[in-house]
Amino acid sequence: MSVFPELVTGREDDFGVRAWRVERGSTFRGEASCNLTERILEVPLGDDPESRVVRAHELMHARISPHSLEWARHFSDVSPRALECAEELRVNTLIGRLGFDVSLLHDGSEKIGGRRLGRLGEWDQAVCFLLAVLATGAEREYLSGVRGERPEWMAGLRAVRKRSLDLLDATSTEVAGSTAFDDDGVPSGYAQVTVVLARMVTQAMAARSPQGPVALRQFRRSLEPGGRRAPTGRFATLCFDEPAPLIARMRTGGVRRPRPISSGTVMRYPGRLLSDPERRAFVERAHHHGGIVVIDQSGSMDIEPDELQRLLRRAPDALVVGYSHRPGDQGATANAWILAQRGGVAAPRAGNVGNGVDGPILRWALAHRRGSEPVFWVTDGQVTDSHDHPDEALTDECARLVTGSHITLVRDLAGVQRAMRTTTAKRTRDHGSFGRVGRRILENTRN
Amino acid sequence: MGFELGGDEVAQCWRDVGDVMASGLLRVLLYGPPGTGKTFAALHSGVTRTPAERLVCTEDLSTGEITGTWMPAASGSWTWREGPAIRSWRADAGRGGRLVVDEVDRASGDALSTLLAMTDSPESARWRNPETGDWVVPGPEFSVVMTTNLEQLDDLPDALRDRFPVCIRIDQPHPTAVAQLSADLRAPALGGSLGESSRRVSLRSFYAFDQLRRRVGPSRAAHLVFGEHARNVLDALNIGALR
Repeated sequence: MSVFPELVTGREDDFGVRAWRVERGSTFRGEASCNLTERILEVPLGDDPESRVVRAHELMHARISPHSLEWARHFSDVSPRALECAEELRVNTLIGRLGFDVSLLHDGSEKIGGRRLGRLGEWDQAVCFLLAVLATGAEREYLSGVRGERPEWMAGLRAVRKRSLDLLDATSTEVAGSTAFDDDGVPSGYAQVTVVLARMVTQAMAARSPQGPVALRQFRRSLEPGGRRAPTGRFATLCFDEPAPLIARMRTGGVRRPRPISSGTVMRYPGRLLSDPERRAFVERAHHHGGIVVIDQSGSMDIEPDELQRLLRRAPDALVVGYSHRPGDQGATANAWILAQRGGVAAPRAGNVGNGVDGPILRWALAHRRGSEPVFWVTDGQVTDSHDHPDEALTDECARLVTGSHITLVRDLAGVQRAMRTTTAKRTRDHGSFGRVGRRILENTRN
Repeated sequence: MGFELGGDEVAQCWRDVGDVMASGLLRVLLYGPPGTGKTFAALHSGVTRTPAERLVCTEDLSTGEITGTWMPAASGSWTWREGPAIRSWRADAGRGGRLVVDEVDRASGDALSTLLAMTDSPESARWRNPETGDWVVPGPEFSVVMTTNLEQLDDLPDALRDRFPVCIRIDQPHPTAVAQLSADLRAPALGGSLGESSRRVSLRSFYAFDQLRRRVGPSRAAHLVFGEHARNVLDALNIGALR
């Protein structure tokens, strides 16, 4: 039995007609492939119906799949794995429409695979792989395996399944299989089907598996075109921008901050003669140059360059970082950046809509703290996940960091200057004005 | 003849052939997979007056079949009948014509030696007619095009390679030949010649399939032409024709 990839023509891109190398594969998952870059087709060469449909699957890749991914930068918001699985679905759909029996596309490993993903709790991989087996003979077995370990995932998976099939049903074979380049230089069938599916699935992968009717409704809406991303329940990965050039600043005096001392000329704290074992009742005004300032630059929480300059006159050695995450971003867009670093200052830059990395940036700041220098968090008190949804667990995580590591909450940069001048720790009840984080701090204190 | 070697849609190999023929170069070797029209081009390209002479090499090809042989005459005597190589030397009133040597890699040692003599440079090539004793030399316009299905020319003798400084690999059927097929088979026919030998589908097979399917339908036509490969050929054609 042989296979004839050279006869598969009809592409409208720049793939050209050249010879292929055919290698013997098998009907087992992962043992058949179509390498469009080197034109190597690995397929089973048996005369059985299963081998035939696997050959058809790989030949369809040769017919419609992109041979170059130079334009992949356009899809930085889409998981590469989701693109792979969505392409499998497009290919399987089209060979099914040509009359090939896609129910034969299974190798018996799917149930075990589904069970394994459930056991490991890999919801994202479970969603992604669903696309690869959707509408084939492997789908039922796969879902059965997942259900055995994670019955609570099934509603979410069914929602992804329905949305994917609806999208394909609404797309003609001509559109889905087109390899003509669109305005961005991307094969249009790939752009209109694979990328759309992959983008939808990328959101579903990042989201939490929906539990309960409200969450399920929210999840379903997130799968619709333009739908808001569903909650993920976790922060995004902290991704710092390339270091911006820092301009050295004139050193100024910094903040003169009063502190109690056991000798001096002015007895500022007479009460300490009774309460302080070291009897530090006098005052000394010490110069403070540093501190770490973490600035939430999401939404309306933007900063004025003049305010930053004023702050740095007070604390010339401060380390100032801004952060804001683009909801759904997979790491292509930086979500944190240095605004000033121990004497140098960079040009301020705008944020990216969401918070998304509140917890990671606070941890980063604490890791860079020198001794007992103060850490200030300029925030409105909102804490959101990587899809910019408020989240109770993440809020609690940040509240515990604030109280446990003595981070000072401030509303704006002017507030940082005021806070630098005082030795008095912010009273717990003052946190009440800091949104969810503030309320959580109060609750934690009461408990 | 309808065989044009030019135009933007023509593959590079055919443009190379066109340029070489147009330059008046008289020794060309065309090689590559079968069924791409090498012989057709050799017979027709640059041949304007006398039809080209053709030799198809086999292991049994003898020297006599190249240069000529004694034949019994009605009078009981013998007459010398010249072979295609000498006829092409003398063709067109002594100016020389085209000699096409097909599948040169299959020629035996004796035949190859004779071919080397026949295809030598005009200054060196000469042959004595055994009947008249006259020396014969190739006409000034005598040209030779050899073809072979070899993919690597290392298998050809160095002396032969030396006589053919220009070797062109023909890896695609000529569009003029492909254009005679139905529109849906033209692109697959161009691709079909490119696979490795066990998967190659020649232009002749496509001609036959095209003609047969009009009468008996594609399945039966594929079965008759492609045999055990029929289903896989049809699968590939159907996937390629996705609309």
